Amino acid sequence: MTAFLVNWAAATPAFAVPFLFAALGLILSERAGVLFLGVEGFMLIGALAGAATILTLGPYPIVALVVSMLASSLVAILFAGLVVGLRVNQVLAGLAMVFFAGGLTALLGATFGWTNVAFSGLPKLSFGPLSDLPVVGRILFRQDLVVYLAIPAVIAVQYLLTRTMFGLKLRAVGENPQAADSAGVAVQGIRFVAVLMAAALIGLAGGYLSVGTSKIFVDGMSAGRGWIAIALVIFARWQPWRALGGALLFGGIEALIPRISAVGIQVPQYFMLMTPYLITLAVMVWIAVKKHGSFGTPAALGVPHVREERR
Amino acid sequence: MSAALELHAITKRFDGVPAIDAASFTARFGEVHALLGENGAGKSSLMNVAAGLYLPDEGWMAVDGRPVSLAGPADAAALRIGMVHQHFKLIKPFTVAENVLLACRRPSHRAGLAEVTEAIRREAAALGFAIDPAQEVGTLSVAEQQRVEILKVLVAGARILILDEPTAVLTDEEAERLLETVRRLARAGAAVIMVTHKLAEVLAFADRVTVMRGGRVVAVADPKTTTAAELTTLTVGSEIAPRTERRGTPGPARLVIADLAIEREDGRRPLAGASFSVRVGEIYGVAGVGGNGQTELAEALMGVLRPSAGAITLAEAGDITAAPPAARRALGLASIPADRYRWGLAGEMSVNDNFAIGHVASGRYGGWWKVGTRRLRVDAAAAIARHDVQGVRRGGGANAALLSGGNAQKLVIAREFSGHPQVVIAHSPSRGLDVRASAAVQQALCAARDAGAAVILISEDLDEVLALSDRVGVMSRGRIVAEFAAPADRHAVGRAMVDHA
Amino acid sequence: MLERTARLTDETARLLADEAAAPAAGGPRRLRVFLEVRPAISPIADLLILLAAVAVGVALSAGILIAAGVPPGDLYYEFLVATLTDPQNLSAVMVRAAPLILVGIAAAIAFRVRFWNIGLEGQIIFGGIAAVLVGLGEVGPPAVRLALMLAAALLAGAAWVVLPLVLKLKIGVNEIISTLLLNYVAVNVLLHLIYGPLQDKIDNFPHSPELPAGSRLPLIGWEKLDAGLPLALAVAFIVFWVVRMSRGGLYMRFIHANDRMALAVGVPITLVTAATVLASGALSGAAGFLLVAGQEYRLTPSFFGGYGLSGILIAFLARSNPLGATVAAVLVALLFTAGQSLQVFFQIPSSAVQLIQALIVLVVAASEFFVRHRIRFARTGGAR
Repeated sequence: MTAFLVNWAAATPAFAVPFLFAALGLILSERAGVLFLGVEGFMLIGALAGAATILTLGPYPIVALVVSMLASSLVAILFAGLVVGLRVNQVLAGLAMVFFAGGLTALLGATFGWTNVAFSGLPKLSFGPLSDLPVVGRILFRQDLVVYLAIPAVIAVQYLLTRTMFGLKLRAVGENPQAADSAGVAVQGIRFVAVLMAAALIGLAGGYLSVGTSKIFVDGMSAGRGWIAIALVIFARWQPWRALGGALLFGGIEALIPRISAVGIQVPQYFMLMTPYLITLAVMVWIAVKKHGSFGTPAALGVPHVREERR
Repeated sequence: MSAALELHAITKRFDGVPAIDAASFTARFGEVHALLGENGAGKSSLMNVAAGLYLPDEGWMAVDGRPVSLAGPADAAALRIGMVHQHFKLIKPFTVAENVLLACRRPSHRAGLAEVTEAIRREAAALGFAIDPAQEVGTLSVAEQQRVEILKVLVAGARILILDEPTAVLTDEEAERLLETVRRLARAGAAVIMVTHKLAEVLAFADRVTVMRGGRVVAVADPKTTTAAELTTLTVGSEIAPRTERRGTPGPARLVIADLAIEREDGRRPLAGASFSVRVGEIYGVAGVGGNGQTELAEALMGVLRPSAGAITLAEAGDITAAPPAARRALGLASIPADRYRWGLAGEMSVNDNFAIGHVASGRYGGWWKVGTRRLRVDAAAAIARHDVQGVRRGGGANAALLSGGNAQKLVIAREFSGHPQVVIAHSPSRGLDVRASAAVQQALCAARDAGAAVILISEDLDEVLALSDRVGVMSRGRIVAEFAAPADRHAVGRAMVDHA
Repeated sequence: MLERTARLTDETARLLADEAAAPAAGGPRRLRVFLEVRPAISPIADLLILLAAVAVGVALSAGILIAAGVPPGDLYYEFLVATLTDPQNLSAVMVRAAPLILVGIAAAIAFRVRFWNIGLEGQIIFGGIAAVLVGLGEVGPPAVRLALMLAAALLAGAAWVVLPLVLKLKIGVNEIISTLLLNYVAVNVLLHLIYGPLQDKIDNFPHSPELPAGSRLPLIGWEKLDAGLPLALAVAFIVFWVVRMSRGGLYMRFIHANDRMALAVGVPITLVTAATVLASGALSGAAGFLLVAGQEYRLTPSFFGGYGLSGILIAFLARSNPLGATVAAVLVALLFTAGQSLQVFFQIPSSAVQLIQALIVLVVAASEFFVRHRIRFARTGGAR
């Protein structure tokens, strides 16, 4: 039993990472007032970009992850241009981006031969004697680099939001863009930047899926994690530390699925695969039932900004 | 005392109609300058130009003697012009200091916050009130929030302050203190411009007053040497709206509103126990300064907002507090909402459809399977002619969004009154309409009353309320605080409007 | 004479400000570009902008395909000539169009009542499963077998949308996410069935056994066209009638135009919304029925593939109009069929079609900006 639990706990962080980074990105975007429904698609872009880098340049996982972030931000320029600049309906644009990215990654992957090709990805780090400790060693000291970046990332996002002028403006823009506008804040500019930053984090989450975990790119490999991240952010009330908790929860569930038969619990394979989605649904229901009025929702979320009377 | 702000021959049009018509205005440092006028005179629009929110179509502006051109509020702030709006532009979840910091924009967050906190304490002390910079703005009272707005512009370095209807949301006491503060600011060298419609304040606190009416500046005067009567004439013109003829006497009470209250999630109570009744064949006017619960009252009566407490009772039908709009309409309730494009009409749908939707449920225009378009068109055409709705194209098939404001309102009335309603709820029915259209609306209301309906007229236009109503209830802070029978003394009503019991 | 000028009222401000866009940030101070909202647009201009957007989308897509290795001349040939002139290809297009019509209409009517039904694929899956179960079980006499299968599909499709519907109406759960999540669940149910209880024992491939002869949609004589197309067209006509002519349709259109006003004026919003959403699910289920009983004659792991996005695209292009959806469905079917040829001859993966569809959606969405706004040039104030 202990071995099972330790195995499970050791596997969880790696599964939690994509959820966490995607959630952090979403938090930045949504607190600036922009819905980012395209998470699913942007994770694919990051995943493909990461795989492509390693397959073309060689085994440089860190470079690959950086490329994931850049590629995702690049494509996000299109999305940001549409929703911030052209005031396109954010829901529609987000959905379209999911399919756009899905099709694009599949096409590029097939054309350049990046799909279904395994590669060596992110190695697990070793901390010498620390890594050899019985329980703690496996769980805490034998993870890859990105896992160790998770908590600093949470701290960084939290700091950005609450202790910098940029963060102040970002939150203002998401709560009351009219007030921010009359205070002289460049509402559109801030939103644009927030979206690009969000895309970078989401791209990293996707890159980690291919470079860190699976070490291969497969069409559609984000498998709904993007949607789960969206629900997660609501559940976390748009706060980075709570998002970490949620990410660990879903990471734990995902880590559990392949392991559960080892404990002797016989569940049909496909039913197990359904569980993350059903749990997310349950979480959404729970949130909606609990939610009465102010829940931390950025007040201007999803609403394109218009100055009352434009000059 | 030099000229702080000069506006020369400013014209601003919306939809082709001038809101400000060649208006000129000068404010000097060290004085409190009141900009006086009724609702709709153009005062707020003119100051919005000064604050960089509106771009004038004609005219120009000078600050401290130099001509300037503002591209946005940031330019105005750079010229040390600060405006405190009637509807506060504060970020509720942020603290006082954060709100001020956002407006002042220092490069570093930590240093900026400290600087701003210090500045807030200093300015507040100078003005004689205490405020906690670390408190969340959403938890402050309205008067305190206003102070935050003032501090915001002061800490940002404003020397020309524009206050838009500052006492509108304050109690008498709070208003007194605010005006003292304002005076202190002026004596310290700032130019303070106060946009207001309240004569008493102007006479007591202003050094000079500019009167606007109908988008134009009609006079600049010294309150010390001008009488209240003279100012009133300048503001409203010499004509007083004639009272309409009464016909017959009201019958028994048809609609009784008892202790109606609405509590919002954040604890606010826009309606706090409103009670009144309306009789058959009478117009009950609800007067009051905007923002005292009128909208919530109208929505509760329409059935789109559920009250948290209290009851609405319709004679012969009983308690309709929880009845949905469809049920209320079936019982003979008609409503003319204030925001006609939001609640009254669907712009994308045709004029005919907008007319007919009120009666489709009754089966008058065909069953479930097919809507009877021929009868619909005939009825619609008749109603449109009867209520003089102009600009209807393609035999009623064109979109309702193409109608002008006045005609759109007439269409709403045509629909609502086509069923001979028992109760009519009219909320600011003449808002935004020209003289002719307003007259038509008022006529329609009187006709409904004469036909035996119980009419509730909720309006911020005191003239309209006084001219039409048989009884007037004054709404303040979510309750009816006073009732008057026609002919009501305008003074007494006005006082009840700003008096908070 | 007391003059009243029209002033900036709340309504006017809202009308002007509604979706009004910012002018180009920065720029010269003297001359500015800015945008104002159009109060209304003529249907012709609206259509022209839509067509222009589609043209741009198609051009971009062509660019992508050429970059992926398709020679331009062949592109034109494949897409237009071959598909339209060769009867085999044409019938393939029409066959493809039938379920697309249903799915497009399903999406369109749901959007009309402001319910984003993204769960189309899940509803198709369950519709297909229900139809196959009835068909394989040979329930009922052969004369009514197909009708029973259709009925089962309709019910199953509607049932799969009930949960998101109730969740939205009762407690406000966002239907985009709930319908989407259920898609994933539905796929897993399908896989479980065709790898398990419903697996074809004859060849042990992951698909269901073939439907017996009495449970298949008959061919109607021309090439490979089955009875699905007439059925779909009939449904399209019925929906069109309901939306345009019936009382429920009038209510629907009011809800779409201004749901607040609809509430205030007494439209039974909940009833109409629920009925429409259930119908949407049912129609998707029917599409599933067409797919399994019309061409494949069995459940396969990806029989529903691509229909979700297609449905949204069709609804979007047709601006949620049922007749327009029929036309759009044929165009999308054209795209799919041509895409298949490209796959065979030029090794372009099927995902290219998805990319093209998404691209067109994005371009058309962007074009709405020009439908709603007019560009104007003006001088800033300050000139004497």
